[in-house]
Amino acid sequence: MSVLARIDDLHIGFGGVAAADGVSFAVERGEFLALIGPNGAGKTTVLRLMAGLLRPARGHVFFDDRDVTSLPAHARVRLGLGFTHQIVRPFYGFSTIENVMLAAGHRQTESPWRAITSSSRQAERDKAQAILERIGLAAQAAQSPRTLPLGQRKRLEVARAIALDPQLLLLDEPLAGLSSAEATTMADLVRTLPGRGITVVLVEHNLGEVLRVADRLVVLDAGRVLAEGLPQEVMTRADVRQAYTGVV
Amino acid sequence: MLVVELAIKGLVYGCMYAMMAVGLTLVYGLLRILHIAHAGVFALGAYMAVTVANATGQLALGFLVAAVVSGLAGIAIYRLAYQPILRHSAFVPMVVSIGLFIVMQEGFRMIFGAYGIAFDNNPWYVANVSLAGISLTYVELAMVIVSVVLLVGFGLFSGLTRAGIGWRATVTDPQMATSFGVDPVRVRYVNFLFGSALAGIAGGLVGLLNNYVEPTMGGAVSYKALAIIVLGGLGSVRGTLIASLVLGVVESFGAIYLADIFDRDAIGFLFLIVVLMVRPQGLLGRG
Amino acid sequence: MSAYVASLVSVIGINMILALSLNIITGFCGQVSLGHAAFYGLGAYTAAYLAKLGVALPLTLLAAAVMAGAIGLVVGLTSLRVRHDFLAVTTMGIGFVFLGFVRKQKWLGGELGISGIPGSGLDPVTYALVIAVFAVAVIVFSLWIKKSWMGFTFDAVADDEEAARTVGVNVSAYKLTAFGIGTALAGLAGGLYIYFARIILPDTFDFVQSIAILTMVVIGGTGSVWGGVAATIALTLLPEVSRAAADYRLLIFGTMLILVMRFSPGGLAGLVRRQRPA
Repeated sequence: MSVLARIDDLHIGFGGVAAADGVSFAVERGEFLALIGPNGAGKTTVLRLMAGLLRPARGHVFFDDRDVTSLPAHARVRLGLGFTHQIVRPFYGFSTIENVMLAAGHRQTESPWRAITSSSRQAERDKAQAILERIGLAAQAAQSPRTLPLGQRKRLEVARAIALDPQLLLLDEPLAGLSSAEATTMADLVRTLPGRGITVVLVEHNLGEVLRVADRLVVLDAGRVLAEGLPQEVMTRADVRQAYTGVV
Repeated sequence: MLVVELAIKGLVYGCMYAMMAVGLTLVYGLLRILHIAHAGVFALGAYMAVTVANATGQLALGFLVAAVVSGLAGIAIYRLAYQPILRHSAFVPMVVSIGLFIVMQEGFRMIFGAYGIAFDNNPWYVANVSLAGISLTYVELAMVIVSVVLLVGFGLFSGLTRAGIGWRATVTDPQMATSFGVDPVRVRYVNFLFGSALAGIAGGLVGLLNNYVEPTMGGAVSYKALAIIVLGGLGSVRGTLIASLVLGVVESFGAIYLADIFDRDAIGFLFLIVVLMVRPQGLLGRG
Repeated sequence: MSAYVASLVSVIGINMILALSLNIITGFCGQVSLGHAAFYGLGAYTAAYLAKLGVALPLTLLAAAVMAGAIGLVVGLTSLRVRHDFLAVTTMGIGFVFLGFVRKQKWLGGELGISGIPGSGLDPVTYALVIAVFAVAVIVFSLWIKKSWMGFTFDAVADDEEAARTVGVNVSAYKLTAFGIGTALAGLAGGLYIYFARIILPDTFDFVQSIAILTMVVIGGTGSVWGGVAATIALTLLPEVSRAAADYRLLIFGTMLILVMRFSPGGLAGLVRRQRPA
C-alpha cells in the first residue's frame, strides 16, 4: 500500500496551550483511518492542519508526495484533499443541489477567468443529482439547507465534499449530534467511500461506530500520538484505556 | 514649543473624539451595528445647546437639555430603527443608520436653516487661559475636563456598581448575563442613553468652540469616530479612548506637516488605512 | 431627441454604470464599499487631465477605467486583510483620502477642480447614445456574470467565505476580481461624465455621492441587475418630474433607505420575488 498523506512533527499552540505537540502519522491510500482520543486531545486541530485551515508553528504536511504545508486550504482542495466541518457549513442561500453543484463545478471555479467564460451548469447539475441520489438526499434537492434536519445537513456536507472528486476526505466528527440510528447510517455511508477510491481520515467521539468501520486507529492524547494500529489491538492497550477513562 | 503645542491641541481634540467614539463603540460592542446616525445625535445636541442657551441666556441649561434630548433620541433610534431589524445581517441596520443620518441632517436644514446659528453670548469663545506657555481657550479646557470627568465616571460605574458590572457582562456574554438576571434590553437602553448624551454634550462643546452650529457638522466628527473605533478594536472602550487621543495628536501634526498633500479631514483616515495595512486588527485589537 | 432628453439619458446612463458597478462588488460578491465615488472621481480626474493634454476620447476612457481599476485592486488587497466589519469604514476612508488629496493638489485644480474640458466631438444627442450603449453593455455584462460560474462563485463567497474555501474557491482572487471590475467600471463612468459636464469639482465625488450610488443599489435590491436598473431610472428621474422632489432629494433618499431596509431589505427585487407564487 502506498502512502497518500503524511504529517510530520506538527506543532501548534493556542493561548499558551500546545494543541498539537509533535504529531506524526501516515495515511495509506485506500484506507479508512480514524483519529480518536479524549476531549481536548487535539484531533480536530490536527485535521484542520491537514486541511490547511490552520498553519502549524512547526512541522510539515505531505500529500501525494508533495509538501503542502504552506498551501492554503483551497489549493489543497484542488490537489484532491477534501474536508467536512464538524459544525456544518452549507451555503444557506443556495438550495441543497446547488450546494453540491458548486463543488461539482470545481473545474469551472478554479480561476475567475475560467469562471467568467463558462456558464453551462447542466453537467454539474446531473453529477450533483447522482450524488444526492447515492446519499439519499434526492428528495430534498430543491430545498434550502435551512429546512433540513441536522442528519440531512451532515449528509449534504459529505455530498458536497464527494463532489470535489477528492482522493482523500477529512471528516470532522460527522456523527456528532446524530441519533444512534442516524449515526449508523452515516457511518455505513462513509464506509463505502474507500471502495469508490476516496481515502478517509475521520475524527470521531462515537467509539462504537468508529470501531465498527475503521481499518486503522490513531489515538491522540494531549496533542501527541499515543498509539496506532488495528482497532482491536489499540483498544485493549492499558494506556489508551487510561487516557479515555482516567483509570488504570 | 510648536511640537508641544501641537500635541496639546491634539489631545484636546482627542478628548472630544473620545466622547463621540465611546458611544459608537458601545453600540458596536452590544449590537455589531455601525451607528452612523450617531452623527445626527451629535448635531442635535449642538442645536439644543445653542437654541436653549440663546433663548434663556443660560449656557449650563443648554448643555443639560442637549444631554437629555440627545440621550432620549439615542434610545428612540434604537427602539424604532434598530430593534426591529436585528435579525438581519449587519449590512441592513448600517444602511438604515446612514439613511437616518441623512434624514436628520436634512431635518436640521429644514428646521433651523442651512446657514448655521451662533451662540449669542459666548464669552468662552475668545477667552484664553495660559498653561505652561500654551494658550488654550476656555472651551478647549472645558472639553478636556468634561470628557475626563464623564469618562472616568463611566469607568467607575462599569467597574464598581451592580448595574455597571451587569452592563459589562452583557457586552461580553449576553446569554450568560441574562441567566444572571440582567435585562439585556435595559442594558441596551442605558448604552444608547449614555453614549448619545455624551455625543450631544460633545456637539454642544464643538458648537461653542467654533461658535457655529450648522446642519452638516456631525459628519466630519462622526466619520473620524468610526475610524477611531476600528483603530481601537471594535467594541473595546479602553482601545477607543487610546485611539481617540492618538488620532487627535496624529491629526494635529499631520494637518501641519502634510498640509500640502492632504486636507485635515483625510489625515485621520490615512492613518487608519496605514495602520490596518500593517496591523489588520487595528492598533489595539486582538488578531 | 431634444437636448433636455439627451442630458437626461446621459445622466441616467452614467448613474446606471455606477450603480451596476457597485452592485458587482457589494451585491454579487458581498463586499461592502462606502467609497465607490472615489473611483468615479479617479476615472473622471484621469480622463479630464488627459483630455486637456489633447489625448483622444477612446484613450481617455480606457485610461480612466485602467487607473480606477488599478487603485481598486490595491483597495481590494486591503479588503483581504481586514475583517469584514472594518471594510465599511476602510472603504469610507478611501473616499475621504481621495477627496482630501485631490482638494489640495494644485495641478488637479485644488478646490476648484478642472474646468474647460474639451467636448466629446459629438453632438449631445449622439454622445447621449454613446453613453446609453455603454450602459447597456454594462447591463449585459452584469447579467452575463450572474449567469456564469463567476456569479455562482461570487454568491458562495458572499454567503460563507470559509465554506467557499473548503470547496476549493480561491476567495481572495474572487474578491480582488470583483473590486477590480467594479472600480474599473466606475472609472469608465467618470470618464464618460467629464465630456458631458465639461467641468469637474472635487465635491462631486464625496461621501454623499457614494451613498447616492449605494442607495440605487440597495433600493433596487442588492445583487439584482434589473432592480438596479429600475431604481437608477426612478431615482434619477424623480427630481426631474417633481420640483419638490428636487429640493428634498437627500431627504427622500434617506427616507427611502430607512423604509426599504426596514420593511423590504431585498429592495424592489425582493418585493417582486414575494409577489410571484412560491
